Amino acid sequence: MNTAAHPVAPEEIMAFLDGELAPTEAQAVAGHLGRCAECAGLAGKLRATSGWLAQWAVPPVPSSVEEAVMRQAAQVAAGHIPARPRSFFNPSMWGWKQWALGGGGVMAAAVILLVVSSAIFFRPVRQAEMAQQVAPSPEAEGYGSTRQPNDQPAVVKGKLAAGSAAVTQFDSLQAARYLPETRAGGGGAPLPTPQAAAAPMIARTVSLTIVVKDFAAARASLDSILLRHRGYAAQLTAATQENAPRSLQASLRIPAPELAAALAELKTLGRVQNESQSGEEVTQQHTDLVARLQNSRETEERLRAILEQRTGKIEDVLQVEEEIARVRGEIEQMEAEQQALEHRVEFASVDLQLTEEYKAELNSPSGSVWNRLRNAFVAGLRNAAETILGIVLFLEEDGPVLLIWLAILGLPVFLLVRRYRRMRARL
Amino acid sequence: MTAFSRGQADAFSPLFLRYKQPLFGFFHRRVADPAQAEELTQETFLAVLRAAARYRQSALFRTYLYAVGFKILRAYRRKAAFRATFLGEQPPGREPAIGSAIETQALMREAVGKLEGLDREVLLLREFEQLSYAEIAGLLGLPLNTVRSRLFRARMALHDLLAAPASRPAAQEFAHFKERL
Repeated sequence: MNTAAHPVAPEEIMAFLDGELAPTEAQAVAGHLGRCAECAGLAGKLRATSGWLAQWAVPPVPSSVEEAVMRQAAQVAAGHIPARPRSFFNPSMWGWKQWALGGGGVMAAAVILLVVSSAIFFRPVRQAEMAQQVAPSPEAEGYGSTRQPNDQPAVVKGKLAAGSAAVTQFDSLQAARYLPETRAGGGGAPLPTPQAAAAPMIARTVSLTIVVKDFAAARASLDSILLRHRGYAAQLTAATQENAPRSLQASLRIPAPELAAALAELKTLGRVQNESQSGEEVTQQHTDLVARLQNSRETEERLRAILEQRTGKIEDVLQVEEEIARVRGEIEQMEAEQQALEHRVEFASVDLQLTEEYKAELNSPSGSVWNRLRNAFVAGLRNAAETILGIVLFLEEDGPVLLIWLAILGLPVFLLVRRYRRMRARL
Repeated sequence: MTAFSRGQADAFSPLFLRYKQPLFGFFHRRVADPAQAEELTQETFLAVLRAAARYRQSALFRTYLYAVGFKILRAYRRKAAFRATFLGEQPPGREPAIGSAIETQALMREAVGKLEGLDREVLLLREFEQLSYAEIAGLLGLPLNTVRSRLFRARMALHDLLAAPASRPAAQEFAHFKERL
């Protein structure tokens, strides 16, 4: 049916039948219906449909409904307003707003929880706590994670004192206190070598990062601390850059008995940002070395005896001399190794990093306004490009995994939502 | 209603007597379970009673009543769909077709059920609640022309369905509009 053949639209015929047309329009439609069989047929269809629908009767309202409503009406008239049955806490009564609010709330809570927990877990370790944990008092010195039982430092010190005159000199008081214990353990009988005592030997390494307020004063204090504790700097690098905090990197050697006191003093230089301590047990290594050294020395002595006591051909003599030279070389090498090892035990190694708390100077020279504007613009462009690149890289790298997760998590949600929509449409 | 909200206790009774059957019909034709229809009817009147103190006459009481009824119907559908989807409850079934009157009901219900949601609503509001096009437009939040075209489409589709129930699924031809109810 088109408007060219019929001056009235089919909807207008329907509106006419429903009494929804203005009188003039109704008159036009009525006139057309009288002339056009097709439109009259359409009107007949519409009337038939309404007629069929009119057969859809509904049973009368049960009296129980009437009673309940009238009872409530009486209550309301008496001034008592019944409570609403709907509850916010019943999710089945929620609309999309409640769902959006609830879902959004849960998401926001999860994000906040994530941020807070990451802030807690990744914050820098506080210096005060560290200092207390690691060195509660100068007497009880800390070994960090490799801390030994309480008597350990005493034994180490005793052995060191016995093995090295230098150390006894450094820490004569403490060594004197511990020496009798070690010696008494030997039962008075002379040990094969002083270093072969049963006590463990520990080479200690400490790493410290300190932020100081006054860099020059800290530097001076560092020197005096080293002097006072008879330590030295094996290596030291200081860097002073423009518009940047000054810093100092040093590898210090401090006599083991002095380590606790020296560390405590170093920590007073500023705020400890990072601290780690470790101890390497080298007893076995040392014992092996000593035993091998002794063997070599005995071999050397035997060779010398052969050379002195026996006579032989010149070739044999030369061969023995050669052998003596070889053994001598070995002995010297092992002695050097032993000394290095003992030095590591005697002198703890402290890797110190001092950084200045940087304060930008107000009158620090800066470029012209134009240059700064230009630099900022360039930096801005670069940042924007980096951000875009970062997003692209992220999508490239994590996109497939995200898609997988989206499929895993999204599919059930999608199916449920679809089912829900269908169900609602059906009801 | 205005008289009742001013405190005249007996003013509600004529309103209820006049609208109880139309409102019950409204729910009965839209909800499969008759017991549920009774409950929703009661709930609607209770909601009207509860809100009586706030009632301001801005439109016909009939329109107001059906608007409240619609809100309650939507809440019910949401609830039932939620329970069926997420809690695994069975959606309310249809009453068995016994006897000629109930058979006609079942036939009508089935035919109307095949219409697209919004078309169905427009048709029912016009045919049974006897609302004007403008009232339907206001109630469903649709433009007047949309109401007219949807009503026409629904009537033609229903005619096809009832004239030849099994031959062609005419309602589906018009089912490409978005579900709104």
